[in-house]
Amino acid sequence: MDRRHFLKLAGALPAAGFVPEVLAAQQPSAPRQPRQNPRKLVLVRLKGGNDALNTLIPWYDYDYYRKLRPRISMPDQVRNLEKYQLKNGGQQSLNPWLKDLMPWWDKGQLAWIQGVGYPNPILSHFESADIWETASFSTTNQGWLSHVLPGYKRDLHGIVLGGEELGALSGKDCYAICMKSPEVFLSQTNLVDPVQPNRRLNPALSHLTNIQSQVVSASNQLATKMGRPRPIGPWRARSEIGRQLESVAKMIVNGIDAPVYLVELDGFDTHANQLREQNHLLEYLGVALNAFAETMIRHGQWDNTLVLTYSEFGRRVEENRAGGTDHGAASLQLAMGGSVRGGLYGEKPNLRRLDNAGNLHMNIDFRQVYGTVAQRWFRQSNPWGQLGTLPFV
Amino acid sequence: MNTLTFSEARHLVARTGLGAEWGSIKKLEGLPIPQAVEFILSPPPSYTKPPPYMTPWRQMEPMRGEAMQRKDAWVRAKKEGENLQAWWIDQLLTTRSPFTERMTLFWHNYFTSSLQKTQQPSLLYRQNLMLRQNALGNFRQLLRSVARDPAMLVYLDGYKNVKASPNENFARELLELFTIGIGNYTEQDVRAAARAFTGWGVNPGNGHFIFRAEQHDNSRLIFLRRAGSFNGDDIIEILLQHPRTAERVVEKFWHEFVSDAGPARRTVMSWANQFRKADYDIKTLLRVILNSPEFWAASNRGNLVKSPVDLLIGTVRMIPYPRLRHSEMVNLCRLLGQRLFDPPSVKGWEGGNDWISTQTLLVRAAYLAKISRGNLNARVDTGLRLPAKEGQEMLDWLLAVPPVNPLPDIPGQRRLAHSLLRDPAFQVS
Repeated sequence: MDRRHFLKLAGALPAAGFVPEVLAAQQPSAPRQPRQNPRKLVLVRLKGGNDALNTLIPWYDYDYYRKLRPRISMPDQVRNLEKYQLKNGGQQSLNPWLKDLMPWWDKGQLAWIQGVGYPNPILSHFESADIWETASFSTTNQGWLSHVLPGYKRDLHGIVLGGEELGALSGKDCYAICMKSPEVFLSQTNLVDPVQPNRRLNPALSHLTNIQSQVVSASNQLATKMGRPRPIGPWRARSEIGRQLESVAKMIVNGIDAPVYLVELDGFDTHANQLREQNHLLEYLGVALNAFAETMIRHGQWDNTLVLTYSEFGRRVEENRAGGTDHGAASLQLAMGGSVRGGLYGEKPNLRRLDNAGNLHMNIDFRQVYGTVAQRWFRQSNPWGQLGTLPFV
Repeated sequence: MNTLTFSEARHLVARTGLGAEWGSIKKLEGLPIPQAVEFILSPPPSYTKPPPYMTPWRQMEPMRGEAMQRKDAWVRAKKEGENLQAWWIDQLLTTRSPFTERMTLFWHNYFTSSLQKTQQPSLLYRQNLMLRQNALGNFRQLLRSVARDPAMLVYLDGYKNVKASPNENFARELLELFTIGIGNYTEQDVRAAARAFTGWGVNPGNGHFIFRAEQHDNSRLIFLRRAGSFNGDDIIEILLQHPRTAERVVEKFWHEFVSDAGPARRTVMSWANQFRKADYDIKTLLRVILNSPEFWAASNRGNLVKSPVDLLIGTVRMIPYPRLRHSEMVNLCRLLGQRLFDPPSVKGWEGGNDWISTQTLLVRAAYLAKISRGNLNARVDTGLRLPAKEGQEMLDWLLAVPPVNPLPDIPGQRRLAHSLLRDPAFQVS
């Protein structure tokens, strides 16, 4: 984002009180090419394998969908509720529990990428999650972002909220930290003493002092910028994912310089009682993302924020005997942001052409989505360039 | 160097045990190196405690396969798996022979099998007993036992490897990870090895090894340029005749006992030769390593990051701080990236610097702070008795290398220990 664009945005903000403060804080030290609002990526891990067909309901083949899922398809009466039909959404309707996302679709700031997966699907949570996190099919501990971020910026690359896994942010060239919340992190880092990274020590100690100084420096940054945080305004998403995104919003608004945030919503492994379970989760997700988007707009950060969900796989098309679905293959991803080109990407699921295991076929390689983030969002070289990118940003 | 100084004895104890235990160091201090090494290599018998209840194989196996019961099997395996992890934690905390535990853990990381994949805690337990028995024995025997081990047969799909549909998983890892390593065999060798192991399976009734002759492929094979009708043991024998097998074992030992960097080619060749000359006697190899100038080199002191087990268990074996519950230790192992019986992949734990990330560093710091907190005022008696005297003796005992950060200004043994535990130097062995 260039400076003029930023000023235009800042000027348009309703919260007038905060604008001069930002400019005052940043003007004196502004370099020639100012990057006051560097781009942010907020990854939302939908853990367990999110079902695509009950996220976007396939009206285009509704009767067949009902036939395959007599117990867990979205009930008919929902069909009459016109308001959940997506405009230009290929005869698909948003799961009603995601209704908070409707305005963002209408504004053209929400994209659904459908049929995302990889060839020869693996149905193990752990293995498939590893493939998604690393964009690699062999065992590696280099997350996919470790191929993108080290060239993009120095120092802090990402912050993981809630979960304990660095996932996409793991790898020795990635500098990422995990925290329950900024407040908890600060209390934990009280136990860690400042230390100078020292390359003259042996390699083990040199590594230790390097990591320790990273922790301390992240802790100092948080303590400085969030000691007396600028309030983010009203926040109504009180679920766990809501709290995580609230923390992310606080950090972005207060100028923490991490380009990536990773949050997690667990529980999508709906082998039983899927309708109830998934609807609840999607409601948490919708409410939280809506609150997050509104907050980002309020603080002039929406245009430089990209929210992207992902899940290790989708689910079986046919329901199982427990009113759930078993592990599947292709799934869908949501992308949201002020700079997102809303709409549908990829092909709608074809319920009548399944693989041998009864799963949806993929038509978009997940690495195309990653490549898009690398190339079109962070303006870095694309490690998966041969697969091409998608124009959602 | 004629006899071991305190620091040298400490190095030997810390590298071969769990924590630099004061009593063990004192026992070795003043001994000539070979004598001290013999002492380490002749550990007292190590009795294992009875294991927790684990669902027997014959009951678990059908559950794993049956779609409706898979979840139950998973929940059960998870719970029993955690109990089994706690069992090993207890072993590690209480054993009289930390060297045995350490070597068992080493082989567990060499011949990995995981709860995650097998969902058979009872098999993992039996594998652990097998690794223990062979930990200081003969590598040939160990390899043959591993190839027959039910947990391994399930973990690497050997039990599905039958004449009509060979499964290459075990054969591939046997070549790639357990013996000669990549670049020394062809895909055709993998297929031949797989066929030689056909019919090696798990008895559905009792979960023990079974050889099913009717499932075994007797046809003539070509393996590593040799032709014959081979069985699994023949394959192992051919692999043991290949120089790379001993060399790769030596490399693993080097990284465990000496350094992350290296080893030099001539060291590998010399140690591997001695290992093969001793017909793969593991103790002989250890004797060579622990007596070597490389092991004792000053540059190889304090240059290995402590594994989570070393840090969690070793610290409380060294210092009589209050201990956490076993279940908490199991959880900490998970947070620190070393779930026992559950390495992340067939390659095992990467180890070394990989143990330390921004997140594990915080967990390590929190653990050490938690156990060493308490009143640091020297005038208050907390009942904590430390063997070393305040000052240099504490430093020499608690740290392998000098501290990175300055020491506290306020005197007091407990305060000093607390402060040294916070120093990055405490994280290395």
